[in-house]
Amino acid sequence: MTLLHAQARLRDAATGELLGGAELAGRVSEAAKELADLPSGVLFLRVGLDLTSVLRYLGAFEAGRAVALLDPAQDREVLDGLVARFRPAAVLGIEDEPAPGYTRDWVREDADGVAPHPDLAVMLPTSGSTGNPKFVRLSRSAILANADAIAEVLGITSDEVAPTTLPLHYSYGMSVLNSHLRQGATVLLEGSGVVARPFWDAVTQYGVTSLAGVPYHYEMLRRLRFDPAKYPTLRTLTQAGGKLRSDLVSEFNDKMRAVGGQMFVMYGQTEAAPRMATVPSDRLAEKVGSAGPALPGGTFAIRDEAGNEIAEAGVAGEVVYRGPNVMMGYAESEAELALGDETGGVLVTGDLGYLDSDGFLYITGRLKRIGKVFGNRVNLDDLEQIVKGFGAAAAVPAGDKVVVFLDRAEKDTCKQAAKLLSETLHLHVTGFDVRPAEGFPQLPSGKIDYRSLEAQV
Amino acid sequence: MSLNDRLRGVFVDALQLDDSVDVENLKYRDIDEWDSVGHMALVAAIEDEFDVQFETEQVIDMSSFKVAVDMLKGLGAGE
Repeated sequence: MTLLHAQARLRDAATGELLGGAELAGRVSEAAKELADLPSGVLFLRVGLDLTSVLRYLGAFEAGRAVALLDPAQDREVLDGLVARFRPAAVLGIEDEPAPGYTRDWVREDADGVAPHPDLAVMLPTSGSTGNPKFVRLSRSAILANADAIAEVLGITSDEVAPTTLPLHYSYGMSVLNSHLRQGATVLLEGSGVVARPFWDAVTQYGVTSLAGVPYHYEMLRRLRFDPAKYPTLRTLTQAGGKLRSDLVSEFNDKMRAVGGQMFVMYGQTEAAPRMATVPSDRLAEKVGSAGPALPGGTFAIRDEAGNEIAEAGVAGEVVYRGPNVMMGYAESEAELALGDETGGVLVTGDLGYLDSDGFLYITGRLKRIGKVFGNRVNLDDLEQIVKGFGAAAAVPAGDKVVVFLDRAEKDTCKQAAKLLSETLHLHVTGFDVRPAEGFPQLPSGKIDYRSLEAQV
Repeated sequence: MSLNDRLRGVFVDALQLDDSVDVENLKYRDIDEWDSVGHMALVAAIEDEFDVQFETEQVIDMSSFKVAVDMLKGLGAGE
């Protein structure tokens, strides 16, 4: 079982180079061979939107070596912390001075290390990374099962050409790559993004057929007055990474249907490799606001506060997903790399929602204090901790951003706090709306009344 | 204030740049702050400051500070 279908192709938009067939397979085995002599342990791969990065990822997957995908722009300090905690066999895709205990090529000097569990294929960092991220452990079979289920519901064939609109260390970005390569489709490696001329030139030149985006991409596409009639090959849009507002779902669905295309709204979490649900395109108009039914092979259940499953449709509770794509568990240290499956295919999502009588899921909120910034999950309590040097803070979700109220702060202090959040979490500064407050509303218990704060944003 | 000075101010504010950044020679994706998210914030801020409305083609062609200056001149802004 492999990620790479015989017909799969990779196109590098920067050079125009197209790799496919025996040539691609050869390059992947070469990349795999380079990993053979490395000591025992997980691989760290700083993965960019370039051919070398993708060949290394595929090489590790084919060689059966567990690989953790990391943001190439991640701070050195955070990387050093991860290296110390997980003692990777090697760090690939880096040219800095090596960490202590590593050779100039970033190979661990000590040959002894914990052997990762044989089922472990890919590790992805959870967001909410306050400089101390943990990893989601995904098995080979979970990755493949999810790639196939996604391809089935989206109808991906070998004729598709999908550009990399999302980073590959982000679970949605990884799944676009996996689901297309598995079907023998083409993945276009493009790094400039939907707001830049080279991207749209590449869409036309290479006959791009689909775009994957999180809510902020759709805000950008709207601002750019995206018109699918101008791109005759581009007939599929997919959306995940947080709830897209209903008027935009309808607007893009209408635009795509008008040219004979389709729009898919989806739901997932990194812990599910990542896809759990997709609204069939032909039902989107009647199900706006829904995350869709569970993927083939998966099921949803809703639990009440006592932990019992709610059989009745329309009653909200915590969303529980069962399927072959659920993670093995988390890893916070090297020793945990050796762990086997700890979840039994059950993911307690922490999301609140209900199922309608057709089995379509509707997400209504979060159990935990979690927000989303441009599709990335952030722990709101962590945000408050990060800025505590500026004063008491209260963070609440606000669509694709978060609002952080800072007690009795000056405008300049708010700016500095936003900048610190941006730098610490590596997310764009405009995702953090830091506002001055005159104290916080309180509950009778004396705790901050977050609900009334949320109502203010 | 000259057009360049005003535009430099908009860049610094919208992208929250440090004093050390050489704004006038900046290109899209040269720095983390000017990524696709920053680009949209920047375009909106320039439109506000100069009271102009960019076309789609202009938004995706605005690949550097210098290009933005030329576009604004072309629109007769900042005079």
